[in-house]
Amino acid sequence: MTKRTQSKIDRRRFLSRSAKAAASIAAAGIVAATLYDKEGPRTGIGSDELVTLRDFSVEHRPGKIMSVVKGPDRTGAVNQALDLLGGIERFVSQGDTVAIKPNVAFASSAMLGATSNPELVAEVVRLCYARGKAKKVFVLDNPINDPASCFRWSGIGKAVSQVGGKVILPRESMFRHTSLEGGKLIRNWPIFSEPLEKVDKLIGIAVVKDHQHSRASMTMKNWYGLLGGRRNIFHQDINTIIAELAMLVKPTLVILDGIQTMITNGPTGGSLSDLKQTNTLIASCDMVAADSYGCGLLGLKPSDLPYLGKAENAGVGTTDYESLKPMLAI
Amino acid sequence: MKAETGRSKRLETVVSIILLGIISIICLCIILRQSPRITQSGDVPDLLSLTPQGFTAPSITEVYNSGNLYEKINGKAPQYTESGFERLFTQRFAGDNDELIELYLYDMGNLRNAFSVYSIQKRPQTEALPNTKFGYKTSNSLYFVHGKYYIELIAYSESEKLIEAMVQIGKSLRGKLEIDQTAEIAELSLFEQENIVAGSIKLYLANTFGFEDLTETFSSRYIIDGQAVTGFLSKRTNAAEADTLAKSYSDFLIENGGSIKKAINKNIGSTVKNQSLKIFDFYDTTEIVFSTGPFVAGVHEAENQQAAEKLALLFMNKLAGMVKSK
Repeated sequence: MTKRTQSKIDRRRFLSRSAKAAASIAAAGIVAATLYDKEGPRTGIGSDELVTLRDFSVEHRPGKIMSVVKGPDRTGAVNQALDLLGGIERFVSQGDTVAIKPNVAFASSAMLGATSNPELVAEVVRLCYARGKAKKVFVLDNPINDPASCFRWSGIGKAVSQVGGKVILPRESMFRHTSLEGGKLIRNWPIFSEPLEKVDKLIGIAVVKDHQHSRASMTMKNWYGLLGGRRNIFHQDINTIIAELAMLVKPTLVILDGIQTMITNGPTGGSLSDLKQTNTLIASCDMVAADSYGCGLLGLKPSDLPYLGKAENAGVGTTDYESLKPMLAI
Repeated sequence: MKAETGRSKRLETVVSIILLGIISIICLCIILRQSPRITQSGDVPDLLSLTPQGFTAPSITEVYNSGNLYEKINGKAPQYTESGFERLFTQRFAGDNDELIELYLYDMGNLRNAFSVYSIQKRPQTEALPNTKFGYKTSNSLYFVHGKYYIELIAYSESEKLIEAMVQIGKSLRGKLEIDQTAEIAELSLFEQENIVAGSIKLYLANTFGFEDLTETFSSRYIIDGQAVTGFLSKRTNAAEADTLAKSYSDFLIENGGSIKKAINKNIGSTVKNQSLKIFDFYDTTEIVFSTGPFVAGVHEAENQQAAEKLALLFMNKLAGMVKSK
């Protein structure tokens, strides 16, 4: 073999190998593109693409910031609690579009206490129409389980429809990214905000529940149901996320249902023996105060729930609910 | 030259194949990780066949792994994923008039893990399930352990009909699931049976009483002189490890506000001088910690020191007997 033949062979071999390598790289690239996770965390979102939730709060009136009603009847209690604060008319004006955010997290029966009571939610919807003269009332949540199943099995879907409310099930297109100014966790995070762009008032309706992670789930934790994405990662810093949610969401009013409290095995419960009749309903313009009172139903003090202190330090509300001179009815 | 070229070509081919193989494995792992509901065929138990008479199965069997368990049980998920959880299968059974039963079948990997999640969540003052070693029922639900499985059957309303249906489902499930019949939890026999509150034994796999190093620890409730008292024990690899752990836990109590106090009972008093047993005042409760042989044991947050010391003595005598007999 001559040197020239050798080099020809080398060049041929080189070109052949190069072509094979290029084909392999291209194949790997095609596979990677196919497996690429489009739902992955978005980065580099321009600040003009981030939304800011509106402030839905109303002016605080001294002595009419929080009310507590004792008794077993939810419908009666919520009417009384609202009347003590000036009636639903103080919060909902004629022609308003109202969004109600109950806890519809699980596809489980209302009887198990893991979700908001459908009769209570329906009564608030009815009051918004009947006395608040609202134009439209929406009920929404981004549940843990399948949304349609959750609204069905909790009974909330049917109860709301019967009084003229409209359930909004979450769709991907309804989520917008937001950042909490100074927030550690809520940064470029999707929230269920598109329906809220069209409403005038926002009311949260939560239940008092034991919670495996945060020790309690009440009005502040209820806003977890506005988060999208893989929100379970926030469980690792549960107190911070609850506090940040309370900083992010400024509702018109919150209603905390402690008529029955899930005192153990929360947040899902399962056995009726997990529930205790505590006959208490709280209405409040101050979420921190509401939760500070509500934690007593679980046998806890505000100091047992770090997220309350975090929220108070951030100026969201006060753990010293006594200072608000809450209206009490027994 | 030809031979050398041939060898180097083979070497390059082998290296290329290895590299491509590694990349393929990585791709496969990514696919499996991002597709949480993929299960091996034949691996999902046939839960539809458990449908009791008069009921239908309105939905398919749902399967969850550690990556998406939170989508079903949310904040409770870590309780399982940190206890050896492998998979959850759920199935609904619908009767008349919106009667609904939901079955949760947790594969916890082994009997010990299943017992742990069962015992920690066990509701107080419940009725034991007949013919079931670890099982109880409430007015609307059944909970039991079957081998490596922890099972919950929850009815969405209260009725005898639903309870009977759940009992039937539970029976059929036990017949269907293959388990290791030889598996047992040896430590359960270490507990003194006199004055024990039936069904009160719990197994903490980690972070017992807030102390990270106190793993694989059992606790149980006793009624001593009318007082409810919680005892605990943990079997370690050997006496040295048990002794070290007892000392670490004691240090933990001190660091967190506990202080050593004197024994009331003179029998235990002599023991304190000779062995590792220590008695603490912990925020007006009594905590007792000791080790004997490979066991760490004691009493946790007792309201009455005398009752706590009595229980500690019971434990010491029982465990000392075990150590001696070996």
